[in-house]
Amino acid sequence: MIRPDRSGTICSPSAVVTSEPRPDGAMRPDRAARTSVPPAARLRGLRKVYRRTVALDSVDLEVPTGAVLGLLGRNGAGKTTMLRLLLGLSRPTEGSVELLGEPMPVGAARALPHVGALVDGPGFLPFLSGRDNLARFAAAEPLVRTSAIVEAVDYALHRVGLDREAAIDRPYRGHSLGLKQRLGLAAALLAPRRLVVLDEPTNGLDPAGIRDVRRLIGELRAAGSTVLLSSHLLSEVEETCTHVAMLSAGTVVATGTLTELLEADGPALEISTTEPHAALAALRTGRIPGYAERGLVIADLVDTPPEVVLSTLASAGVPVSEARRRRTGLEELFVRLTEDGA
Amino acid sequence: MSPARRASRRALSITPAGDRHAAPLTRLLLVEGRTELRRPRTLVTLVVLALVPVVIGLGVSVHAADPGADRPGPGLGLITAVSGNGLMLPITALGVVLGLLLPLCVCIAAADALAGEAAHGTLRGLLLAPVSRIRLVWIKAFGVLVVAVLQVAVVTGAGLLAGLILVGGGDQLLTLSGSSVSLGAALARLALAAGWTVLQVAAVGAVALAVSAFTDHPLVVLATVLGGVIMFGLLGAIPALDWLRPVLLTSGWASLSDVLRDPVPGDGLTHSALLAGVYLVIGMTGAIVGTLRREA
Repeated sequence: MIRPDRSGTICSPSAVVTSEPRPDGAMRPDRAARTSVPPAARLRGLRKVYRRTVALDSVDLEVPTGAVLGLLGRNGAGKTTMLRLLLGLSRPTEGSVELLGEPMPVGAARALPHVGALVDGPGFLPFLSGRDNLARFAAAEPLVRTSAIVEAVDYALHRVGLDREAAIDRPYRGHSLGLKQRLGLAAALLAPRRLVVLDEPTNGLDPAGIRDVRRLIGELRAAGSTVLLSSHLLSEVEETCTHVAMLSAGTVVATGTLTELLEADGPALEISTTEPHAALAALRTGRIPGYAERGLVIADLVDTPPEVVLSTLASAGVPVSEARRRRTGLEELFVRLTEDGA
Repeated sequence: MSPARRASRRALSITPAGDRHAAPLTRLLLVEGRTELRRPRTLVTLVVLALVPVVIGLGVSVHAADPGADRPGPGLGLITAVSGNGLMLPITALGVVLGLLLPLCVCIAAADALAGEAAHGTLRGLLLAPVSRIRLVWIKAFGVLVVAVLQVAVVTGAGLLAGLILVGGGDQLLTLSGSSVSLGAALARLALAAGWTVLQVAAVGAVALAVSAFTDHPLVVLATVLGGVIMFGLLGAIPALDWLRPVLLTSGWASLSDVLRDPVPGDGLTHSALLAGVYLVIGMTGAIVGTLRREA
């Protein structure tokens, strides 16, 4: 059983670094994905060409079962194209797609009943009410019994916080952007899902809506569903995801657990002190690699546990006001990886 | 109990329907038919189509009441034959709307069926449910057929009512050949005309559905198919292209008036029905190919 790191451990100094940056800046494939549980989704050598535009090229990605994988990329990086290929809405020019162990798009009938998706924005008929639109989709869901359609709609509305919303019974064309987006999320939750694919789920949502989406993703994960989430919002991914894949100019430039990516530069300790020279001297004496940066002293943790660094400094009498593990931050990593590629 | 609690309790009673890979077909057809009937455009086309026989009926009764009406009006053709002959009105009305209005109305339904759903982003939702692509085409074809049948039924029904009320003379039908036909036989001829018209309209609908499968823009479907209907009409009117007429769907539409002759000559009606069948097959094949190739 894979137990991906919880997003709560981002701040824990005990996070274990499992991979190092490769010369080309890409990360090793996620270790968890190589274990015996089959991945919820697997893309291999994927290439998609629209007329002369190469939308995706040599994309390899595994979505570990039980993970919340954030697909990060700028607008136009190929996130939606990738999700559409994954869901069998579009055929790859080259390469293969596996969804819940089924080859796509051939195995769509077997895989898709267990997959809920919001791709390319919410899509509903303007003249039907939000509720009737959902009922129409629920009627097309293989896993929803005919007698349970109304219940399935009510439950999906409840999960996205729309069960008290009066506007839901008025025509969809008059719905607000946020309401439309929530309805799109509800459509992805009409049946019990093993995988939920959400393309930019917080688009058009207010802060309360964004919080609701985070809560929803947490609930899905707790219930054992795998979640694949695309976003151009780094904070969203940093707060909700266990795994991250970065997409730039149609190709995956980095994948790994969130922790792996956050410590992509190698583990280090950032030390605030009023006497940086004394601190550096103490580290040198203790044979710990270190350097000064932006008024901080950085101690390398590749061969030294943080406790040793701190006790070395303490025994040298260096006043340490604050010490914390360095995080590259997704933003810095993202900018670096995508600017090289683009 | 709070709504949330009630909703979550209700959720407990939701049990998956086994490991089913597709929703029941009857359920999908029912939902499709109901959606078509709730589409405002469908309702507008039905109202417009119902108005046609009423307008003809009014025109005929006003014409009959005019003391100077003995002069034969130019180009009135079938309409003058309706005068005092109410049972002829519904068939005349079918002939009038089949020229352009009925193809337009069925085209609207076919355009919305695939291209319109794609434009609204709902085609994606259905494919993700999943509804298999081939199944989706049949469901959509069913929806268009439901609309076509309703449209023809509305013209026929409104025509019958307008004929009996506005024109009168509803106890028998005076045929174009000069003989009289009983009410029962006249209704049978009306049913034949309506059924034949549904087939013709279905053929147009199938071709429109094929175009609809290849585009995301409903207007492209309207422009293409109506342009085609008009172009076929032109080709059929050019004497040098007489050899082309047997394969032009629109050229067969003139045979609707055969229903009003005594005895009914079957050649034209049969040929045009078979031709419609061919267009229907071609259209459905195109719709399936287009939907299978489609990037949703």
